Amino acid sequence: MIQEQQWLLSLGTFLPLAGVLVMLFIPKKDEAMAKGVALLTAVATLGVGIYTLVKFDYGQSQKLQFFTTNKWISPIKATYTIGLDGISLPLYILSMVITVLVMVYSWNHVPNPGNAKAFFILMLVLQVGMAGTFVAQDLILFFVFFELVLLPMYFMIGVWGGENRQYASLKFFLYTMFGSALMLVAFIAMFIVTKNHATNPDAANFSFQWFHANAPGIARNTAIWIFGGMFVGFAVKVPMFPFHTWLPDAHTQAPTQGSVILAAILLKLGTYGFVRIALPFLPQAAKTWAPIIAVLAVIGIIYGALGCLAQTDMKRLIAFSSVAHMGFVMLGISTLTPLGINAALFGMVAHGLITGMLFFVAGSVKERYHTLEIKRLSGMLKQVPHLGWILGFCAMASLGLPGLAGFWGEFPALLASWSPATILTDSAMGNHELLYRVLTVISAFGTVLAAGYLLWLYQRTAFGEPSEEFAAHGHDDHGHSDIHDVNVFEWIAWTPLLIGIVVLGVVPSLMFKVMDPAVQQLTSVFGK
Amino acid sequence: MIAFSAPIVDYHALAPELVLAAGICLVLLVDLFVPAHRRWITGTISGLVLLGALLPVVTLAVLGGDVRDVLSGDGISGRYVVDNFALVLKALFLLSGYVVVLLSTNEIEDGGYYQGEYYVLLLSSVLGMVMMASSRDLVSVFVALEFLSIPAYMMAAWKKRDRKSNEAGVKYYLLGVFASAVMLYGMSLLYGIAGSTKLSVIGEKITLSGPRTGIEVIAVVFVIVGFSFKVSAVPFHTWAPDTYEGAPTPVTAFLSVASKAAGFVGLMIMVYLAFPLARDVYRPFLWVLAALTMTVGNLVALKQKNLVRMLAYSSVSQGGFILMALAMAFTNGSEESSLRAIIVYLIIYAATNLGAFAVVIAVARRTKSAEISSYGGLFNYAPGLTVMMTLFLASLAGIPPLGGWYAKFGAFRAAVDAGGGWGYTIAIVGAANAVVATAYYITVMREMWMKPVPEGADTSAVKVPASLVAALTITGLATLAFGVVPGIIAKVGSLTDLTGAFHG
Amino acid sequence: MLINNFLVLGAVLFCIGVYGVIVRKNAVLVLMSIELILNSVNINLLAFDRLWAESGNNDGSVFALYIIAVAAAEVGVGLALVLLIFRNRKTIALDDLSEMKG
Repeated sequence: MIQEQQWLLSLGTFLPLAGVLVMLFIPKKDEAMAKGVALLTAVATLGVGIYTLVKFDYGQSQKLQFFTTNKWISPIKATYTIGLDGISLPLYILSMVITVLVMVYSWNHVPNPGNAKAFFILMLVLQVGMAGTFVAQDLILFFVFFELVLLPMYFMIGVWGGENRQYASLKFFLYTMFGSALMLVAFIAMFIVTKNHATNPDAANFSFQWFHANAPGIARNTAIWIFGGMFVGFAVKVPMFPFHTWLPDAHTQAPTQGSVILAAILLKLGTYGFVRIALPFLPQAAKTWAPIIAVLAVIGIIYGALGCLAQTDMKRLIAFSSVAHMGFVMLGISTLTPLGINAALFGMVAHGLITGMLFFVAGSVKERYHTLEIKRLSGMLKQVPHLGWILGFCAMASLGLPGLAGFWGEFPALLASWSPATILTDSAMGNHELLYRVLTVISAFGTVLAAGYLLWLYQRTAFGEPSEEFAAHGHDDHGHSDIHDVNVFEWIAWTPLLIGIVVLGVVPSLMFKVMDPAVQQLTSVFGK
Repeated sequence: MIAFSAPIVDYHALAPELVLAAGICLVLLVDLFVPAHRRWITGTISGLVLLGALLPVVTLAVLGGDVRDVLSGDGISGRYVVDNFALVLKALFLLSGYVVVLLSTNEIEDGGYYQGEYYVLLLSSVLGMVMMASSRDLVSVFVALEFLSIPAYMMAAWKKRDRKSNEAGVKYYLLGVFASAVMLYGMSLLYGIAGSTKLSVIGEKITLSGPRTGIEVIAVVFVIVGFSFKVSAVPFHTWAPDTYEGAPTPVTAFLSVASKAAGFVGLMIMVYLAFPLARDVYRPFLWVLAALTMTVGNLVALKQKNLVRMLAYSSVSQGGFILMALAMAFTNGSEESSLRAIIVYLIIYAATNLGAFAVVIAVARRTKSAEISSYGGLFNYAPGLTVMMTLFLASLAGIPPLGGWYAKFGAFRAAVDAGGGWGYTIAIVGAANAVVATAYYITVMREMWMKPVPEGADTSAVKVPASLVAALTITGLATLAFGVVPGIIAKVGSLTDLTGAFHG
Repeated sequence: MLINNFLVLGAVLFCIGVYGVIVRKNAVLVLMSIELILNSVNINLLAFDRLWAESGNNDGSVFALYIIAVAAAEVGVGLALVLLIFRNRKTIALDDLSEMKG
């Protein structure tokens, strides 16, 4: 690990809290001021992020950089250990970018019932939790950050959400809480079991390094149970079938900003947990669980796609498409190969950009038409051409069109699952090759379904003539606000995402190059 | 017969108790000579007395060094001591008492109750608790327990003309006295077994070797039952919700935090010093109590409509987590992690729960109600109180980065540390309960943040009196700090060596 | 040994007391039953005190003295509370204490 500029990650993670502190003293009425301070903080945080990006040593991206470790809760051996490597760097930066963009978008889009100050404070707190989860290199620290996002998101959905917000937010909260309780017990059990069999139990602590070195030695049967606990915790967050039912509700009811953050970052906390914690620490259990994860992932892909076809609400459709996309990510992870995990990590970022963008568009559609019912919308290309084209672009990206970011998440995942890691096809451990091949074929069919529902959505909402009930709005004789095209705040918020989708689609090596060394190192625990 | 020889008193070690005792007399006198409209001064004095008693605790901690016998002499040594365990808990009781004084100031003054007497009783009860932390003998445990309970009975019934308050007092009194009578019967048997009331002697006599006699089982069980009433463990909790609801809210805060903590301290002293080798008796018993307490407390809390009553059941269920750690003491060498977990739990829980009650009191000044529905839309007109309440509830639910998570973490760790069938099963029961518990805490948050303001409610900004602001600041900062840097509290926890324990 | 007789007496008193607490509906009678339990404890303590007297230990009689004193204080408070109830409700039947439920 590289221990230079140790302050950098702490600064990047906790800087938003400084903004929160300042905002507490701004009177509630002075909304512009509150928004300004929040945005400024987020931009400053992003600035730190960009500096991190510049200073990152890409030649050694398998190593933890800006690494620092400090005492934190010594009696329980938890440490304040943070670091950044090729796996977490893209997600860390993505979280900062998304926060800034969401704040720009919120500038004149604070959802009902207003109160910009509280809304922006919640976003800043969320940012701390998200960034912290990606840099944490200690299980307890990871857990604390992982949970930190829970309450702000709950309030974001519950206070600023749609009609059914209370139900949706409660469901979100209880599902996540259930998962994390089991996860915590699994963490503690892993610690104690590791400590008991280690050669130097006195050195035991909760840092990832310790578990890297010692946890793989846990007896396989014990490890399978511990992995199970973590599996539930992470799978709820991803969300994997059958723990996904909170997601469509949460997404549908959340305000646009909440949906974007949820889709772009929060879901990734779960998959990141699998890659960072569950697989490398418990490789012996991962072997057993991988086929199960793969099957659930493929069920998720097909189920999500079929769910999409049944939706009448645009936002709900996008939410179900998330289930399908995260299925691809989990499929990539379940192969235990470098290619699969690279694909999964790429898919996480790509899904963040694309689905985040789709939720932005959905939010703007809702704002203009006051509905998201697909059958009432049509002719967007005529009425709001820019918005229509952006929707089309995102739909193409989402269905995995080569040349756009989405492709590089799905295609390599399929390739990887055709030939999973040798430990999964090793006859001594049970041969799962056939299973994975069948799953590959089924999930390939899933991509066809994805093309189907996305094009169908696009065809119904964007093509044709504007429907009569909205056609008149352009002239504003109903006293409603105009159905206008993309405004300047939206352009500022969206352009970086659109550029990101294209750039990552054309030059995927930008990310693969950063991630691959770290992934290679990670998968080395599974042998050749 | 041995000739009587006067014990040597270590006045420095006894100073906290002496300051409190002098303070009680002072408040009584002041109350007598000060005209009625200036009686508020008794509250101020009581606060100062509690802080004053904290001073010797600090000097003892800094200068004291090892264990000190408060009374030393032939056959007396080791019965009333000051060790780190005692100091930490004395500090906890004194500070909780101080916060309760802050909570009481306006409530007692505005209610037109007898202020002087109220504070005298409060101080007496705190004195009992402070004594409990030092007691290492059946007699002093009993006297301390009664000293802290008897004033509390009266405080619960403080609203003289309020039927609910009367009822609260009587229920608390009858069950409390009955419990201590049962406990005394157990203690008399303990004395019969050991031939001494000194706990460490009893601990040596009740061993694992040889067959367990029936009288030992009865003695251990009766003593635990007696304390179970005090800590409102299910099925001995029936008084708690009624008493909490009926008593004046500051008293409820006091009972649910300080008095309960003192009960746990007594129980810990008994288990660690007198029964360390009787785990075949107390482990199954406490295990079942813990599981029942967590589960029943939670399930009943789920359907409460009154916030104070809900907090009462929540505090019952929180007690279950402490019992969980205690049940697992002395299993596979987990006594130290259990002891620390309990102390840390008590401290964090005290800060959090007192804070929650401070908000309840502040809000009730406006709404005159503790019904959960009266909290609707609180965020719109009292955002500060709402955020504080959210922090406290989240801490009670155990959500990082607020104190409660660390408390729960410690309890789970003690259970998992002990391992085996007993440890793992209770840990899983606990985890399930932790999730269920969030459901009712979240109900209150939902009410405050998402529900509309009830019809006809006054929504001008809520004025919070200075003493409540102080109480909220102390408890809020503590709750946050314990969660973000639990190191500070964990360090305190690891200091607590309970003299005489771990050697059985 | 003689001590057994005292212990049996104590146990019987204890049982009567517990029975009274559970069955009686009248607050004063419940208080009296609790007093019975306390007295059974005192008998136990004194009997054991005799048993252990040879080892030069009289913790038991000291304990009993404390219990007598504390019990007096307890009953004082208890009767005051019962009086309070009686003033407000004109009854001391415990079953009528049901303002709060659930």
